[in-house]
Amino acid sequence: MDEIEPRLKGLMLAGLAGEAGPYRRLLDELSGLLRAYYGRRCPPGVDAEDLVQETLIAVHTRRATYDAGQPFTAWAYAIARYKLIDALRRGRAHLRAPAEEAEALFVPAGADAAMAARDLDRVMADLPPRTRSLIRETKIEGLSTREAAERHGMTESAVKVAIHRGLKALGGKYGGDSLDED
Amino acid sequence: MKTDELIASLSADLRRVAPGAVARRVALGLGLGALGSTAVMLAWLGPRHDLAQAIATPMFWMKFGYAAVTGLILAVLLARLAKPAARAGALVAVAAIPFIVVAAMAAMRFVQAPPQAHHAMLMGHTSMICPWRIAAIGLPLLAGAVWAVRGLAPTRLRAAGLVAGGCAGALGAAVYAVACNETSAPFLAIWYTLGMILMAALGAAAGSRLLRWR
Repeated sequence: MDEIEPRLKGLMLAGLAGEAGPYRRLLDELSGLLRAYYGRRCPPGVDAEDLVQETLIAVHTRRATYDAGQPFTAWAYAIARYKLIDALRRGRAHLRAPAEEAEALFVPAGADAAMAARDLDRVMADLPPRTRSLIRETKIEGLSTREAAERHGMTESAVKVAIHRGLKALGGKYGGDSLDED
Repeated sequence: MKTDELIASLSADLRRVAPGAVARRVALGLGLGALGSTAVMLAWLGPRHDLAQAIATPMFWMKFGYAAVTGLILAVLLARLAKPAARAGALVAVAAIPFIVVAAMAAMRFVQAPPQAHHAMLMGHTSMICPWRIAAIGLPLLAGAVWAVRGLAPTRLRAAGLVAGGCAGALGAAVYAVACNETSAPFLAIWYTLGMILMAALGAAAGSRLLRWR
């Protein structure tokens, strides 16, 4: 902040005096700062780059409101914040729920569970069939490793290894935390 | 458009900004508004019949001066609140001075007067319509203030709206002073002030809607 303020202020004052070069450097630097600021705060559905551009335009068209007795950073931040709040308000207005969507409330019972089962099938589609059924039996239906081993005619340790590899493969594919319990 | 191109085009048409642009715009908005308010006052009420004699009395100038000085202080404050990251600062205390002075003068006149004169001093003969007339006459001024401030960059819209309303109310009261023939300081301190407060409340309530800029 200590070095940004005098540098940006100098560029701004030169810009107000009509010097295009320093003014352009100011807008360049400002666009980078704004991109970082909005990148973290931009409401969903709003393009952060649109906000950057809107703010640059506001800075430009309303630059007469900057007075040299004031820190430039405070002035520019107040505009950036105003534009963010404006975007949040507009975002809220756009998020109104459609009127013709009764089915959004009256979903058939169990639809969620059916959807979860379908997702699970899709996720596990790439695993070998036996690994798939071992995972389903032990992790979802609640069989013990020994019961699953008996059902498939495998040793208990072979079942553990197959499940471990299967889960590891899923973990590698879909990221996130390891599903491995061992 | 890509941001780089936008920056290039914004800096390409760069012109020097003359200092004092904000003050000039606020003055223009309020000046045009004052013309409108004066036209409303003349067409609706007309100047008081004894205006020629009245302008020789201190009471006329106390009424006009109270409203005009308050309005000018609030106009300076308004120009400040029209800028991003505005600080009202010590100007708020300065804006309180006319109210305190007029309230003190009114209290002094009131206690010096015989008790049977008190009611007439407080209520005059237009107390019930005076604040409403001030507000109505102030509306063109409020429109001028809103036009000026919207074109600048207020970031505290409610505060800017409050001051825009108060300023329009005070300057509107100065215009109304030409039509009004009340002659007591307590009347001025109560009913003129109420008219200004009415407009300030209107400005504060409508500020975040009226002053929003894109």
